[in-house]
Amino acid sequence: MDRETVERVARAAHIKLTEAELEEYSKDLNDILSYFELLDEAPDCEGFGVNPIEVADVLREDEPRMELDPDVLLKDMDTYERYVRGPRLS
Amino acid sequence: MTMKSILSKLKETNAKYSMFHAMTGDDDPGDSKFLFSAKDNLTSCDMETCSGSRILIGYRPAFDATSIARMRSAGGKLIGKCNMDEFGFGTFSSNSGLEIPRNPYDLERACGGSSGGSACAAAVFEDHVSLGVSTGGSICCPASFCGVYGIAPTYGRVSRYGLIDYGNSLDKIGVISAKAGDLRKYIHVISGKDEKDPTSCAQPELKDEGRKLKSVAIPKEGVEGLSKDVEKAFEESVEALKGMGVDVERVEMPSLKYAMPAYYVLATSEASTNLARYVGMRYGQQKGDLSLKFDDYFSSFRSEYFGSEAKRRILLGTYTRMAGFRDRYYAKALKVRQVVIKDYKRVLADHDAVLAPTMPFTAPRFDDISRMSALDAYKADYLTIPANIAGTPHMSVPCGYDGNGMPIGMQFVADHWNEEVLFDIAERWEKGFEMRRPEVVG
Repeated sequence: MDRETVERVARAAHIKLTEAELEEYSKDLNDILSYFELLDEAPDCEGFGVNPIEVADVLREDEPRMELDPDVLLKDMDTYERYVRGPRLS
Repeated sequence: MTMKSILSKLKETNAKYSMFHAMTGDDDPGDSKFLFSAKDNLTSCDMETCSGSRILIGYRPAFDATSIARMRSAGGKLIGKCNMDEFGFGTFSSNSGLEIPRNPYDLERACGGSSGGSACAAAVFEDHVSLGVSTGGSICCPASFCGVYGIAPTYGRVSRYGLIDYGNSLDKIGVISAKAGDLRKYIHVISGKDEKDPTSCAQPELKDEGRKLKSVAIPKEGVEGLSKDVEKAFEESVEALKGMGVDVERVEMPSLKYAMPAYYVLATSEASTNLARYVGMRYGQQKGDLSLKFDDYFSSFRSEYFGSEAKRRILLGTYTRMAGFRDRYYAKALKVRQVVIKDYKRVLADHDAVLAPTMPFTAPRFDDISRMSALDAYKADYLTIPANIAGTPHMSVPCGYDGNGMPIGMQFVADHWNEEVLFDIAERWEKGFEMRRPEVVG
């Protein structure tokens, strides 16, 4: 992974890197990705899931309910008139 | 009496070992039946929860994790939230934005990670049980380095509701204690279906029918690259197991060598999406420059408050999920997980457990850790990762001490949902193993 790619990935991940970090991560990620080449020789298999066990359809009924008081959830959030504060969009 | 005594010594004990990020200020156990602690990535409504990260300083959850709620319902008093690697990203609990726990056998050495504070508390306090969380070995590794018992049950056995996610398809909540019997006792307390975590609803009942562990398979790949002390203690323990009537067979499990790269692809891919929520709004650190534009505001928080290893894993996971690389890395890693599971199923069809040392070496010194490269540190997990990627229950039991008196552990891996044989062997092993506790606070 070259420095340009690391910069592109960092932008996508919303992380600003210093020059020293760019240098360090470029080297580390290259070492790690070289090690990942081992996966190329790993045996293949038919099909795969995202969990290590079978998770059947175990969803509960879709009934609205409120378990936590919104004011309790908002107690430590930076808010304005019960809206969460955030940066401007443009 | 012990509970009151421990509560009165909590601050001074923590000053020595740094096992807790947050502690109870209450020194009266009241009607509590037992004291417990929990890794700081499990939410607790009475203590700050930071998951080892500066970005979550100030986060006081409005609810308890299900595992903590169940411990409280059983009569437990939560005494502290345990220090850990930031979001679970590490092998030594030294990748923390907060405090780094110290090994009770030698304060210059690491507790292991990422549930290092939990293992430390279990080793130091009398009659103490701690909840840990394992993604790639974060219960067994610190249990091994701190000379205690630790179990990560089958993926899905314990509800993850209230767990600050690292890798959703890998995270498992388990138990660490100096007493083998606590593993059975407290896995029963915290396990079971919870509609707030659908994966927990897929589990069969936790059996307790007296099933014994009668045979183990030792994979050739699990005894390679060991330090001499670990190899010696492990082979002596294998002989002791034979003396207990356990059949031992040496086998080959060729898939194990692919588990580590597959694990790091899956874990960092999942982590990089999970950590996208930490942007200086809603949780923890929120005092930023609101005049900044959207992207700059988020980037400024994430760049300032995420630690070095968190950034490395976010970058790695973001890269492996990018268009053009997804099939090579993420999709392939999912397939390798199935290959590893099949390999375990093949061996476990004829044996009750797979056995190997837990870690290839004993707890390293902090100065040695600081000289390790990122890849070297990742490679240290090669013995604990396969069971974690497979979601199979696994347990570390203390099995010896090296020349410096540092503990050594061995790890049993059972088939999905078969925790019962692990409880059995831990309790039988404890009767014959001479445990050397560090200074115990009671």
